[in-house]
Amino acid sequence: MSADRMWTTRVRERAVGALPPEKLLPDRQPAYVASWIYVFGVLTLAALVVILASGVVLGLKGPAWWHLTGIGRFFNGIHLWAVELFFFCMVIHLWGKFWMAAWRGGRARTWVSGAVTFLVGVGAAFTGYLSQQNFDSQWISTQAKDGLNSVGIGAFFNVTNFGQMYTFHVLLLPTVVLGLVVWHILLVRRHGVVPPFTRAALAASNAEEES
Amino acid sequence: MPPAVLAALVDLHRPAHVVHWHFFQMSVANVVVIVLMLLVFVLAIVLPFPGARRPS
Repeated sequence: MSADRMWTTRVRERAVGALPPEKLLPDRQPAYVASWIYVFGVLTLAALVVILASGVVLGLKGPAWWHLTGIGRFFNGIHLWAVELFFFCMVIHLWGKFWMAAWRGGRARTWVSGAVTFLVGVGAAFTGYLSQQNFDSQWISTQAKDGLNSVGIGAFFNVTNFGQMYTFHVLLLPTVVLGLVVWHILLVRRHGVVPPFTRAALAASNAEEES
Repeated sequence: MPPAVLAALVDLHRPAHVVHWHFFQMSVANVVVIVLMLLVFVLAIVLPFPGARRPS
C-alpha cells in the first residue's frame, strides 16, 4: 500500500493542516490578550490540574484516609477548594467571553465546547458531594433522588448508589471534562483568541441594524 | 485539635445563615461567592495589565 493511502498518513496530514506546530504552540499572542479578563481561562486550567492531582491521591488512599487522618483531610480540603476556584474562574471566564461574544469569527464550536464543559463540570462536582461517604452525602443524595425523579430522569441512574456515583465521579465525568477541555483548547489554538469589539465594528453593526 | 490559625473563620457546626427576600433565598456563603465573582469580574476589566499599552 502506498503511503498516501494509509489512514495514518491521512490523519497526520489533516491534523497538521488544521493545527500546524506554530499554531499549536505559538510563541506570541495578539496585543489585546494583555488584559486580566483573558487570564481566567488559564486559571481555570490550573485549578483543573490541582483537582485531578488531588483527586488521584484521594482515590488511591480511600475514604477512611480522607476522613480520619490529618493529611487526608488536608488533601480533601485541597480538592474541595480547587473545585471552588475552578468554578469561580470558569464563571468569570464565561462572563467575559459572553460579553465579548466569543462565538464571533467562526468560533461557535469553541463557545459551545466551553459551555458544555461547564455543564458537565457541574455534574462532576455534584457526584463529588455524593462520594464523600458522610451524612452530608447521604442527605444530598436523597434530596437529589427526589429532584431527579420529579423531572422524570431518576430511572437512568441512581444517585443513592455510592458505587455508581463514585465511578461517575472518578472516571466517567472527569474523562468527559478532560476531553472537552482538550478539544476547547485545540479550538482556541486553531481559531485564535477572540478579539475585543472595536468601535468601527460596533458602529458598522449598529448601522446595519438601523438600515 | 488543629492550631487556631487553621480553623475556619466562622463556626461551621450550626445551620447556615440564609438571605431571604420575597422569592429569593440563598445561603450567605453562596451570596458572598457571587458578589466576589462580580467584583473580580469588574476588576479584571478595569485594572491595567502589567506591560500592556493602551490603544491610541
